[in-house]
Amino acid sequence: MDIFQSTSESGILTLTLSGKLDAETTPHFAEVLDGSIERGERRIILDMSALDYVSSVGLRALILGAKRLAPLDGRMVLCGPQDRIMKLLEISGFTSIFTIAATRDEAAETLR
Amino acid sequence: MSDLTAVFRNQRSEIQRLGELAERFGAGEHLGDDEVMAINLVLDEMVANIIENAYDDQGEHEIHVSLARHGDTLTIRIEDDGRPFDPVQAPAPDLDLPLEERPIGGLGIHIVRSVMDAVDYRRQDGRNILTMRKTLGRS
Repeated sequence: MDIFQSTSESGILTLTLSGKLDAETTPHFAEVLDGSIERGERRIILDMSALDYVSSVGLRALILGAKRLAPLDGRMVLCGPQDRIMKLLEISGFTSIFTIAATRDEAAETLR
Repeated sequence: MSDLTAVFRNQRSEIQRLGELAERFGAGEHLGDDEVMAINLVLDEMVANIIENAYDDQGEHEIHVSLARHGDTLTIRIEDDGRPFDPVQAPAPDLDLPLEERPIGGLGIHIVRSVMDAVDYRRQDGRNILTMRKTLGRS
């Protein structure tokens, strides 16, 4: 899995994930996400459009990240999941705890 | 009709091989990406659970996995010699809870039960035998 980080002028951090978010790769992702929150990032977009696979280990890391951000007045928005990943997010009840945007622009809009 | 079997050791490094098995089976059966991902997920969730939780000792154990297709029915069978564990009886997570109260765990088995059409468990001769079925070509 690769993670690309970019910060927009408006101060929104976008983490772009590609490949697999599973038991092997999630520890690295969790480290990057935790590090971002620690250094003060409060508005985070997780671009999932290039993500092919997510297991429950990866989903747990998403919940943990959101739980860390909430008391800090922070928010994480998911964007662009492929259909089969979206189905998994629905099965896992993520649609009621995360905003899931179709595009990055739409995600940024919800964080403004 | 085709069958694919493989043996995994109770080590976390084996998880990657599960994905390879799912892909090999999918390629042989001309399955779509969605179905390959579903098989990978089911293997990943259940075998990882066995590796993490089934053994009290530090010894090496074998986990037997088989994938079979008969007509449009996919059968996934996982057999281990760990402590008894019936995932069919595991409580379903409450997915209506707000973020603050949402538990971190419990999703893996829920996902497996959602992805597959039937999950059967039996304990036989000191072994857990999990047989899961799904009708292919239907989401």
